[in-house]
Amino acid sequence: MAWLKRISLSIVGLTVFIVGVTYLFWMPEPQEVSYALVKTWGGKGNKPGQFNEPTGIALAGKEVFVSDSRNTRIQVFDLDGNFIRLFGKQGEAPGQLNRPMNLTIAGDELYVADFFNDRIQVYGLDGKFRRSVGKAGNVGGELSAPGGVAVNAEGELFVADFFNQRVQHLLADGTFVRQWGITGVSGVLGGKLNYPTDVAINNQGTLYIADGYNDRVLAFSPEGVLLHQWGGPFAMNIFGPFNGWFATVTGISVGPGGDVFVADFYNDRVQKFSPEGDFLNAFGIKSTAPTHTAIAVVEADDGSVFVADYANHQVQKWQPGN
Amino acid sequence: MKITTIIFIIIALTGSGLGLAAGTRYELRVDGLACPFCAYGIEKKFTRTEGVESVEIDLKNGLVIVNTSEGKKFSEDQLKTIIDDTGFTLRSVSVKPR
Repeated sequence: MAWLKRISLSIVGLTVFIVGVTYLFWMPEPQEVSYALVKTWGGKGNKPGQFNEPTGIALAGKEVFVSDSRNTRIQVFDLDGNFIRLFGKQGEAPGQLNRPMNLTIAGDELYVADFFNDRIQVYGLDGKFRRSVGKAGNVGGELSAPGGVAVNAEGELFVADFFNQRVQHLLADGTFVRQWGITGVSGVLGGKLNYPTDVAINNQGTLYIADGYNDRVLAFSPEGVLLHQWGGPFAMNIFGPFNGWFATVTGISVGPGGDVFVADFYNDRVQKFSPEGDFLNAFGIKSTAPTHTAIAVVEADDGSVFVADYANHQVQKWQPGN
Repeated sequence: MKITTIIFIIIALTGSGLGLAAGTRYELRVDGLACPFCAYGIEKKFTRTEGVESVEIDLKNGLVIVNTSEGKKFSEDQLKTIIDDTGFTLRSVSVKPR
């Protein structure tokens, strides 16, 4: 029986070693002071200022735009959460919405991922409909449940095409340019994606993809070259609650200083990274509901961070150093 | 007496007709419904399926509840295919008349 004891001890030793190495290499410490929750607003309902499953958030100057998904509308608030206006109603006609998801603001326009209608809808910041891009399908330029959109300096779109397992690069008029991922095929290797949920782009043109069910973020140069990838050991779809790990990435945005904010949904938190993917910080509210909290995130010029809180039907406002 | 009988027959027939018009309620147990991308995806697939009248997501119990119109039936394989297409695994199905 001595050999059995020796094998058991070896297994225990190996486990301790692996855990230790994992800790050293994949559990970084925060590099900044903590964030503090300074305000929440909303609550479940359909009155102005209330939400029924907020799923997206974006900022334009001193206004916060929120996707109020089951109420099928976009609500606009000031930076203190005071209701300003709302727009959108349920339907398939141009300008109507059905489950708006992640939002992006580019110039004086709001881009909405219209999940059920398989298109990106574009509005003025006053809520007036301007145009839509894409239609249902799986060839280039067509969409199947878009989760998020980013817009570069030239007005070109990058769309997280959720059920088509790809991110598409489209011209402003919707003409297909190229894609990341293999249409209709999910996976973690060979350039595949696994239900991409959102995208963001920085002012150098680096594209960040929230590779949702692969629990990772991918960063590509404007030429389409993979620059960085992160999320758990080797960014290989190993999920977990540790710093720098994810459990379903549902939203991503780039702050004014270039830092990358990621909504780490099943971990009920936002994680903040350098443009290269170095872990900087994490904060959030644990969920007590059967679902989870942080689904989308955006940073303001003053460093405040606004989070769409799905489980609690509210918006969270955080500030660093309090 | 005759009028009462006629009224009774009409009510009975109407009731029976309503009974016949009712479809089926499928309760599908699916893991991972907490994420709206997942739950909305399943809702979207079913609402675009012919014969589906409504879809509800019961997050607390992890159920997708699909109500169909009269005469519309799904086999377990059909339900499994729809759930598979959304990237999830169908754990069990419970079928109830509406």
